Amino acid sequence: MISTTGPAYSPPRRSAFDRYNPLRWIGELSETRYWMYLLLLPSALLICAVVIYPTLYGMQMSFHEMRLNRPGLGNGWVGLKHYQRMVTDPIFWVSLRNTAVWVTSAIALEFVVGLVAALALNRNLPGSKILAVLILLPYFLPNVVAGHMWALMLDPRLGVINDLLVKVGLLQGYKAWFADPTTAMAAAIVVEAWHSFPFFTLLLLAGLKGIPTDLYKAADIDGAGAFSQLRLITLPMLKTIIAAAVILRVIGLVNSPDLLLILTSGGPGRSTQVLSLYAFQTAYKDFNFGYAGALSVVMFVLLMVFAWAYVRLSKVNED
Amino acid sequence: MTGFDRRSVLKMGGGALAASALLPAHAFGQSTAINYWHTFTSQSEFAGLDEVMKLFAAAHPEITVTQENIPNPEFMAKVTAAVVSGSRPDTTMVASERVADLVAMAGLTDLTDRIASWDRRADFDDARFKSITVDGKVYGVPAFTFVDWMYYRKDWFDEAGLAPPTTFAEFRDAAIKLTDPAKGRYGFGMRAGAGGQAYVINVMEGFGAKLVQDDGTIGLDRDKAIEAVDWWAGLLTRDGAVPPSAPNDGFRQIMEAFQTGQTAMVWHHTGSFQDNAKLLKPGVEFATAVIPAGPVNKISRLGYAYNTVTNPDTIDAGWEWLKFWGEPDAAIAFLEKTGYFPASTAAAKDERISGNPLYKPAADTLAFGIPAPSFPGSAGWAEGVVLPAFQRVLIKEATPEQAVDEMIDGLAQAIG
Repeated sequence: MISTTGPAYSPPRRSAFDRYNPLRWIGELSETRYWMYLLLLPSALLICAVVIYPTLYGMQMSFHEMRLNRPGLGNGWVGLKHYQRMVTDPIFWVSLRNTAVWVTSAIALEFVVGLVAALALNRNLPGSKILAVLILLPYFLPNVVAGHMWALMLDPRLGVINDLLVKVGLLQGYKAWFADPTTAMAAAIVVEAWHSFPFFTLLLLAGLKGIPTDLYKAADIDGAGAFSQLRLITLPMLKTIIAAAVILRVIGLVNSPDLLLILTSGGPGRSTQVLSLYAFQTAYKDFNFGYAGALSVVMFVLLMVFAWAYVRLSKVNED
Repeated sequence: MTGFDRRSVLKMGGGALAASALLPAHAFGQSTAINYWHTFTSQSEFAGLDEVMKLFAAAHPEITVTQENIPNPEFMAKVTAAVVSGSRPDTTMVASERVADLVAMAGLTDLTDRIASWDRRADFDDARFKSITVDGKVYGVPAFTFVDWMYYRKDWFDEAGLAPPTTFAEFRDAAIKLTDPAKGRYGFGMRAGAGGQAYVINVMEGFGAKLVQDDGTIGLDRDKAIEAVDWWAGLLTRDGAVPPSAPNDGFRQIMEAFQTGQTAMVWHHTGSFQDNAKLLKPGVEFATAVIPAGPVNKISRLGYAYNTVTNPDTIDAGWEWLKFWGEPDAAIAFLEKTGYFPASTAAAKDERISGNPLYKPAADTLAFGIPAPSFPGSAGWAEGVVLPAFQRVLIKEATPEQAVDEMIDGLAQAIG
């Protein structure tokens, strides 16, 4: 029988160094459930510093008067003043409508061209590896370079596109694409689609590589044609990638005014004015950061609602 | 084998580093480095800047200047971000219409005392400092002058038996007569894209709709402004005397059209003289004239480019760089490369300028020209309201009445 009685166990006395040794303290902490929070702390702090703080700061700006060139107005709290102004601001509504047209049309075009390119590259024809690299080139160009390049190519006097269209008989004379409100937005959408369709190509090609070929073989045996295979196999299998790509592009397009800034500056008139450009001009031309902040908050909310609705409607999460 | 092992090299390196830290900075002949933000874009402008920098380097070997180009449309965004974030450039070129906004956001450094005791101060008219003075404080030194004038195809005018126009009526008449779309020729290269707002305001003032009244109040005379917008837009919408691309034509487009023989007249400042002269024969194919007078006022702009100190920490070196632009040699060197007029009256009297007949219209304009109206919010209003409103008239989306009402509402918001 083992006796359980005896002298009580007392842990060895720690030296003063041991008591204050940080390594020992960390070692003991690592045994507790708080350890995981400690490990997450640096990332959490970083996210707070670079994401949450600027976002909240931008939001609080929208409730304050902040006109850099009117210091006399102060930086006081103005409540919903900027949001009220937005409701009656015709430029806001024109910009909202143009943003919807700009984003929807550009992404639809980018998706279609990107899908066609991805399907072509996925056939592994001779030279497709080189083509896969070449097709990405537009995407590597900064928006500023692409914008200036296309502004020159579509120039009504010296532009090569006008020259080609006149030579093949599609145009009677040179056209000022960006000076006509009926063609300015369409021309800008073509430039945007050219610049960003490789983004879709890249993601869709990666998705296509992951679809088992057995599915297509079985469909062939069942007599499904190419279009049926695309509709019933390819697109459903790419659903998650398409959803992610569309959301990323929508966020990118809604937030970046640079291409339109170079091509049209929102003109002629307000025909290519979009929300991001309006917010940029309000901040850096009017120096009205309060109103620009309110415009940005509205864009932020619209994007959040869009992303939530799109994910729900596309039923991506049900997979 | 004897030699340096790794440890001895490290020891020597550490020792040298420690010793160097104890030496005074001037033991290395250390110079002060400053940077300079500007909006120069053309080859001739860069050549002019390069020339001034070479002269400055020879005169001030203890100061190193690095230039940084900021595209004009992005300039205010960059400067604002730099001021707000505390990463200001040391010195900056500032156009007169931007001074009010920059001073309001505390972006410029007060140079009143330095300028008052500057030995070249007497070379400049007091008027040159008007646009850079706010509440009695002077924030910069005029570097050069943009004198607005007109370039016209002298050969086309001679061929048509026309004299260069001196009034808006003659100008319109000449523009219509010289337009021949079949030949791809238009009478006038209207700038109604980026930067076109300045011309809309000038024409409105030419018709009597002054923006800043004599008593300092700001406002637009609606009827006169409507008449002006109607006339200016009518050059495209009624007369067809300007290229249909006008609503999107900025600086590059109007100059290309003139230089490639597509327009007979173009309004711009003296800075395009050298670029035009490279492609067209001065005095034979093209010549220069004063901007025609409006029915009420004769408006031609003198735009001053000021050099300013934006970073007070390097103000001593910055001040040397600023005032160097006022030296006649630097001003003439810059003029010869660019066509930009010296801001210094002493330099403008130089024979190389006064002896050239093609510069006479610019010299004449100096006598009556005035700076563009400037007040906090004016630049944003002009670019964000005036230009789009005018473009809407050009594309027949709005009437001149609607456009002017839009401008008046926008003005109330800008100054309200």
